[in-house]
Amino acid sequence: MPREIITIQVGQCGNQIGMEFWKQLCLEHGIGKDGLLEDFATQGGDRKDVFFYQADDQHYIPRALLMDLEPRVINGIQNSEYRNLYNHENIFLSEHGGGAGNNWASGYHQGEQVVDDIMDMVDREADGSDSLEGFVLCHSIAGGTGSGMGSYLLETLNDRYNKKLVQTYSVFPNQMETSDVVVQPYNSLLTLKRLTLNADCVVVLDNTALNRIAVERLHLSNPTFAQTNSLVSTVMSASTTTLRYPGYMNNDLVGLLASLIPTPRCHFLMTGYTPLTVERQVNMIRKTTVLDVMRRLLQTKNIMVSSYARTKEASHAKYISILNIIQGDVDPTQVHESLQRIRERKLVNFIDWAPASIQDNDLSEFDESREIIESLVDEYKACESPDYIKWGMEDSGEANVAAALDSKLVV
Amino acid sequence: MDDHQTRDLVEELVHRLLSAGAGGARDEAGALKFAHRLLSSRLAPAVVPDEHALAEAIKRRLAASGRPDDALAFADLHSKLSVRSRPASLWPLLYLLDSLSSNRSAAAAASCLPYLPTAAPPRTTAATTGTGGRPGSRAPPGGVVLVSKDPDNIREIALREYTEQVLEETEVSEAALVRDVLYACQGIDGRYVRYDKAGDAYDLPDGVRVPRSTRTLVRKLCEIGWLFRKVRGFISDNISRSPSDAATEVGTVAQAFCSALQNELSDYYKLLAVLESHSLNPVPAPGSDSVVSGNYLSLRRLAVWLAEPAVRMRLMAVLVDGCRGLRGGAMAGAIHGHAQHGDPMFQEFMGRLLRRVCSPLFEMVRSWVLEGELDDVFAEFFIVGQPVKAESLWREGYLIQSDMLPAFISPVLAQRILRTGKSINFLRVCCDDNGWADAAAEAAAHVGTTTSRGGLGYGKIDALEALVVEAAKRIHRHLMDVIHKRYRFKDHCLAIKRYLLLGQGDFVQYLMDVVGPELSEPANRISSFHLAGLLETAIRASDAQYDDRDILDRIRVKMMEHGDGDRGWDVFSLEYDARVPLDTVFTASVMKMYLKVFNFLWKLKRVDHSLTGVWKTMKPSCIVSSPFYKEGTNIRTQFVSVLRKCQVLFNEMNHFVTNFQYYIMFEVLEVSWARFSDEMDAAKDLDDLLMAHDKYLTSILEKSLLGERSQGILRNLFALFDIILQFRSHADRWFERIYELQLRGKGKSKSKEADCGRRRSSCNLQARDHHKAKEWSSSGQVLALVPFMEAELPAALMKVGVFVLVQALVYLILAQSSTVFSRTKSLGLRPARSLSARRMLALLSDLPPGGEPSPVAATTTRSSSLVLAHPKED
Repeated sequence: MPREIITIQVGQCGNQIGMEFWKQLCLEHGIGKDGLLEDFATQGGDRKDVFFYQADDQHYIPRALLMDLEPRVINGIQNSEYRNLYNHENIFLSEHGGGAGNNWASGYHQGEQVVDDIMDMVDREADGSDSLEGFVLCHSIAGGTGSGMGSYLLETLNDRYNKKLVQTYSVFPNQMETSDVVVQPYNSLLTLKRLTLNADCVVVLDNTALNRIAVERLHLSNPTFAQTNSLVSTVMSASTTTLRYPGYMNNDLVGLLASLIPTPRCHFLMTGYTPLTVERQVNMIRKTTVLDVMRRLLQTKNIMVSSYARTKEASHAKYISILNIIQGDVDPTQVHESLQRIRERKLVNFIDWAPASIQDNDLSEFDESREIIESLVDEYKACESPDYIKWGMEDSGEANVAAALDSKLVV
Repeated sequence: MDDHQTRDLVEELVHRLLSAGAGGARDEAGALKFAHRLLSSRLAPAVVPDEHALAEAIKRRLAASGRPDDALAFADLHSKLSVRSRPASLWPLLYLLDSLSSNRSAAAAASCLPYLPTAAPPRTTAATTGTGGRPGSRAPPGGVVLVSKDPDNIREIALREYTEQVLEETEVSEAALVRDVLYACQGIDGRYVRYDKAGDAYDLPDGVRVPRSTRTLVRKLCEIGWLFRKVRGFISDNISRSPSDAATEVGTVAQAFCSALQNELSDYYKLLAVLESHSLNPVPAPGSDSVVSGNYLSLRRLAVWLAEPAVRMRLMAVLVDGCRGLRGGAMAGAIHGHAQHGDPMFQEFMGRLLRRVCSPLFEMVRSWVLEGELDDVFAEFFIVGQPVKAESLWREGYLIQSDMLPAFISPVLAQRILRTGKSINFLRVCCDDNGWADAAAEAAAHVGTTTSRGGLGYGKIDALEALVVEAAKRIHRHLMDVIHKRYRFKDHCLAIKRYLLLGQGDFVQYLMDVVGPELSEPANRISSFHLAGLLETAIRASDAQYDDRDILDRIRVKMMEHGDGDRGWDVFSLEYDARVPLDTVFTASVMKMYLKVFNFLWKLKRVDHSLTGVWKTMKPSCIVSSPFYKEGTNIRTQFVSVLRKCQVLFNEMNHFVTNFQYYIMFEVLEVSWARFSDEMDAAKDLDDLLMAHDKYLTSILEKSLLGERSQGILRNLFALFDIILQFRSHADRWFERIYELQLRGKGKSKSKEADCGRRRSSCNLQARDHHKAKEWSSSGQVLALVPFMEAELPAALMKVGVFVLVQALVYLILAQSSTVFSRTKSLGLRPARSLSARRMLALLSDLPPGGEPSPVAATTTRSSSLVLAHPKED
């Protein structure tokens, strides 16, 4: 009973980062491009069945649903070297193939049209798993398909599988650039409502921040989509390591999220990762200690969200909770010492109204050290959706939470 | 013929000499006899018949006395003479002349006669006897007369008187006494010298009349006999017993000791034999002149002869006394105690003795160290084996008997010897392994001793130590090899860590899932077979399936003793079946400790599990999208406030449990494991390994608050756990009702939505929601909920209040018991503690104490009336 997680990739962006994600998982689990296990990976120790299942033969097939309203990206996947990995029944393409035209409403509506087909696929996947833990949705919130159809999916999933978790990896638009899509803010806003109401956990990935990281940390002058997407996939795979490599704690998504999300609405997580590498890019050699990793994770420049959490003008910003996943050959005694140091130096601002904690999880299977920090979630006071019901029952403490996402949500 | 001629010549000479004086015929006859005696004497003058030297001496004397002319003349004459005559015949002549001349000057006689005067012969005799140094000789009657005639021979007279006195006092001849003493020395009663039982000594009976000095001497001499008797008694005691059925009484060391003693005694016997042969020579009477003056034995001579053997014999007797009642190593040790002596003779003697005595001991050590054999029939070795079961062979099988440990083997060395042999036996008995023989042979070869009787022995402790060290090194390495490689000690430790200490998260989680419902039953209704089946399922479903089958087979379900009212949770546990030889490490008591840790961790995990279960029911998408936000303000306010409280409480609990788990994981399990793993690699022998493992387990026990000192905290902790579990069940029921409510609300709105959906574009969904909300509030569904809330909430909140109280208490205790936590440095607890405590107390102040009606409940009641009023208004 492996606590399966079904991944749903919606839209152009969702499918792109999803593809990268599966590539990364295949690499980590030693699954070849055609779904066959490499020789070195046969002895167990990991749990492939969280994200994969085995076909009648020995092929490993991702528990993934690929959906798009236009065929371009999915065709691209089907022509790539990973085409044999996916279950072809799990690919949904709209018949007319016209896409949603960057229109949220169009995506939502089209989603509504094809809901039966889609839910058939979802049901089939869900039936194929012993104890479904939840869904992971990859999408962007700016476009048409990802945002519109994704929104509709969220609502449907919450309705039909309301005992299951829904986690999303949502790519937020680049707020610095003026996009050619004028309706981008509207799309975002409408999607955000569904993310707030119908998702259990939203991992915010910010295109601005991803670009910034690519430029500043990886020294790429013109980061391509593939490169930023690989950053996303790294984060996605890293944040699921505890589910795939069982340890003493945090072996299921519920346990992982339960301590990260103390209040139901504050379920937007931000991620950070260090040291960052992009495929085939030689990193400079350095010695990485636990303290180093922890400290670097708290730096704004490593966080994949353009938040003001650590800037001077927003010094009142606070963390609700933090989870560090440290991979590699880690001396357990160091973890504790590093935590002490961080506390002593007051590198982290925590909320006052509840006990907050840094938590660590340590997986020593990999040489590479990485990590994820999570969480600055705030209330969406600025979310002015017509149907957004104001409520006045806020804890006074919650006002302290930095409204990092607010600025870009203001329409 | 020659004799005849000589006699004639002597007669002639005497006649001439005496007739020249006024001597009578009697004198003449006496002188003649004396002359004959002189001639017949075998005494040779102590001079070398060197003619030339003599001639030179004469010349020098002449020259020195101021007559150089005479010297020249003498030289001339001598040369002429030596040319004419044969060289041999000249020396007596010269000697005679020289003696005469010098005699004359020495005697200072007035007459310068070239021939001896009448009184000369006796004087010459006296002088001769004086130079010969004969103290007294049995003189013929004539001689005695001659001496007595000598007026100034006082010494002779005194001697004669003494002899007479001695003869008078002595009833027993000295020779007889000597013989008796010799008998006594062999432990036999003589004619006079007898063993006196009363005095426990050899003595002359009082009746025998001997001079007091002789008596003392005899007594002194007889001491050796007494000692001998003692030593021989000891030997015969031991030897005579050995062939009989009481052979077990005499150890090999004692036998060796006896044989060494006997060896020494045989030397002594040899000496006695020699002495006895000497004693056959007659003892010359005092004052008399003995012809056979050689190897006779007097008591005094005997005393000299026996001085050294007596010392040795005394030593042996002391040893014999010291060793009485001792055996084996203790005996060797006792003997060794006497060996520290400055006298080289002592040292040499003791060394010889000890080499013999210790050889069986060393043989035992050798066979123990190299073969693990404990061939110790007589219980003499300082290591004793006890018949025990294989699992406790290492810990209890062999012990050092400190009283059997000879002083020349240091306790450290003994310990090392013990471990080495123990390792071999462990390998042989428990591991069923024969590779140690190679290791032992290698070690022996390396040290240079053969595996047969080697160069070990007393005084070569270095060699022994080298052998032991070498053997220990190799055998321990082999043992470690066997334990690590063949029995995969580390794998088993890891397995225990993964399964008993819950390191394998998915397995534990799954086990919790499948076993959970079962365990909620009363303990006596649970079948452990069923649980075993579930365990197997869990193994198959989790990553544990990839583990070694051998390891998985050892995991068992164990139901502890249960009383009435125990739930399955209280009695369920896992155990790990460590088979021989690993049960030496994982003994029953060790497994009991693991069991304790498991139970604690299992409980913690269960609490954690149920808390995440709560979260699942109140997960964001359920709460946030739940329709009661669309209720009227008051109701919503009530809901939200309760919900918020619930969440805050959940957060507190979850934070506490999670942090505690992190503490357990990072501070306790992982750190201890890392240390243990280092020590395991460094361990040189099984004892090190055992110690490392004990340390590991103790540190886990101590740090996870299971130790003696943290009993109070633990009690509170369990109380907390119970409260969390209660919270879970209340929260579950509460949310269940809420969802029920939601569903009913949804059912209503669904149909509405269906026709709305077609009509409306996606843009005016809000309006629909508004509509829905109105519909919802007017439906009056809340009515069903409110009574339930009223009934349920105060109880739940009271429980929760108790929880907060207890948790605050625990925090206080933790804050004060700095001994536990300053050492263990609880992760995350300390900095959060004061904060949390403050928060708890703040929360606590919100909540009602004990039985008072809660303000929340009160408001709920109030609000319910409002709600009742609301539909009417609408």
